[in-house]
Amino acid sequence: MATSTYLQSPSVVINSVDVSDQTTSATFTRVIEQLEKTAFGSTNRSYTSGLENSTLTVTLYQSFAASETYATLAALVGTNVTVSVAPASGAQSATNPKFTLTGAYLESLPLVAGSYGQLSTIDITFTGGAYTVAIV
Amino acid sequence: MAYKIASERLGKIGDEFEPTDDVNIEALIEGGFIQSTSKVQKTAKTEASEQE
Amino acid sequence: MATTTLLQNPTVSVGANDLTDQCTAATFTRVIEQLEKTAFGSTNRSYTAGLENSTITLTLYQSFASTETYDYLKSIVGTSTNVVIKATSAATSSTNPQFTLTGCYLESLPLITGSYGQLSTIDLSFVGGSYSVATS
Repeated sequence: MATSTYLQSPSVVINSVDVSDQTTSATFTRVIEQLEKTAFGSTNRSYTSGLENSTLTVTLYQSFAASETYATLAALVGTNVTVSVAPASGAQSATNPKFTLTGAYLESLPLVAGSYGQLSTIDITFTGGAYTVAIV
Repeated sequence: MAYKIASERLGKIGDEFEPTDDVNIEALIEGGFIQSTSKVQKTAKTEASEQE
Repeated sequence: MATTTLLQNPTVSVGANDLTDQCTAATFTRVIEQLEKTAFGSTNRSYTAGLENSTITLTLYQSFASTETYDYLKSIVGTSTNVVIKATSAATSSTNPQFTLTGCYLESLPLITGSYGQLSTIDLSFVGGSYSVATS
């Protein structure tokens, strides 16, 4: 029978800081750029792999309290950061792999974001860096 | 230089923090997550000479 | 336990004018542009910091009354100004930092916008300038 994944308690770590309890959404996408290699004689387009350019996008509740979102991220904008995400908070395994981007770049950090009556949330995206996956 | 954990988001408070090469130490210190435990070297004391 | 921020009573000032009570949404995003530094030998893209180019977007109720939205903004469009935002109106502190963009540019000012049955609101974008943060 098919199984599925419910992100109830994933692990999200940014620069060694566990921000899981501030995170409402996480999308880690492995991207290996496609380079077209179609040539005369082909009836279909074909591609080969280029550079890797993976991304991690995270939605966090904004908070200016000590050791919270702003304290974690303020000094990281414009730098290269190591970020990791695992589907669950337990030990790594083949069914709970930890995905890491080492040296990913944080270009943009929303400082104040929100509308009346809504809790303030921010979306941040880490781009590039070296991808690894750990299952132990 | 040695560091001590100051926030539960990194581990047990008070434990030594051993950063890897890819960690931004300055950002962790600025955010209050770790503290440097390196002590400032004291200058040598000069003994006063006794006068007879 | 994680904390959050509800933008119930932030402060928003443009130039010397307090627009807080006209404002329904505010987003201050710090942006340090990413410059690619990928070279031969890498299997992944990598980036480094470029110029800062931060932005502030505001949504305001439009009003043509004296000392209201239009009166304050009509002479700012096409110029550089200072915009200051705090998450709450309490005293500036490390948990209530004051973010400023000095010399940010306002390119566009909606004058008439709206549909039947709706209060007229305008969206403004301030770009560039020098970023600073105060915690006291």
